[in-house]
Amino acid sequence: MRSRFEQLAMVLVAAILGLMLALGFRMQTAFGPTLQNRRWDELAVMLRLCEEERDALRDEVVALRAAIAEIGGGEQLDVLAQELRQARLFSGLAAGVGPGVRVTLDDSSRPQQGGEDPNLFLLHDDDILRVVNELAAAGAEAIVINGQRRVATTEIRCAGPAISVNNTRVAPPIRILAVGDPQTLESALRMRGGVLEILTVIGIQVQIEQLGSLEIPAFAGTTRLRHLQAAR
Amino acid sequence: MNGAVWLLIGLLAGLVAGFRLPVALPLAMARYHSVALLAALDSVFGGWRARLVGGFDPAVFLTGFFGNAVLAAALTYIGDRTGVELYLAAVFALGTRIFMNLGAIRRLMLGMTGSNGQPQPPRSEETP
Repeated sequence: MRSRFEQLAMVLVAAILGLMLALGFRMQTAFGPTLQNRRWDELAVMLRLCEEERDALRDEVVALRAAIAEIGGGEQLDVLAQELRQARLFSGLAAGVGPGVRVTLDDSSRPQQGGEDPNLFLLHDDDILRVVNELAAAGAEAIVINGQRRVATTEIRCAGPAISVNNTRVAPPIRILAVGDPQTLESALRMRGGVLEILTVIGIQVQIEQLGSLEIPAFAGTTRLRHLQAAR
Repeated sequence: MNGAVWLLIGLLAGLVAGFRLPVALPLAMARYHSVALLAALDSVFGGWRARLVGGFDPAVFLTGFFGNAVLAAALTYIGDRTGVELYLAAVFALGTRIFMNLGAIRRLMLGMTGSNGQPQPPRSEETP
């Protein structure tokens, strides 16, 4: 009553069903327990917990690095330790103090006119870059952007609504600490035709304070080098 | 050999192939695949019930099996694009139908009255 073709088709259907079941089962075991079924709020909570954990670990890293620097003893070791302290201070791995300036940058407070590009009145990564570059040119020995110590690998770039510094998101108001001669640093920024003039034209709020003692935190990111090796 | 045995062999072959094949579906396809699978299962149970009742038509079954699977996946895709969770509608409708068919199959196999109101001798079609 059933033709050969029909029977073959039924078997084929059964095989396809089996294939789909197996694929579905495999997919569920592969992806099921991961993010697929999580809700956004759960993910947000997870993200916050991870970030908290990361911050705690970061503090631990700083503390441990400080502990390593403290280990010493013996005359030669003292010399070496002194040298190490200097190197760490220079490279940003050690916290430090010194006189300098605090530059506070914030989005424009100018009332916006119709038809103007609102982007013009926001603080951008290149504004910060310009200020940081100018401070470095004026002899700043350590620069910190919203708690992020500027080191050899530091990037300052746009990251959507925020700005990424040392792979950490910072947002306006941006506070830049720079250790150096306060007078020199401030004049470098206030130079005619300099950074400050450009920023104030577009309405970015800039404050410069000269401070006798700035506390400079250590760089808390990773220092593992994957590609760079010491030259022989 | 019995038709049902052939079907089981086909199912097993598909299962083995599915577990052995080196291909894996991408995560983005997961939802579409699940809905298509549900539609396919629905067709299979519907076909089984039709067989027991006696009104089984291979052409209807084959088109239903592939057509429903593709349509269900397409509906889910449209739902994803438009922000309407058509996916849930498909799951609900197909799930309900699967359970209704299962209930009918159970009753038919126990030799009771089918949901179409006619008493059916169980497995009358099983012997070729």
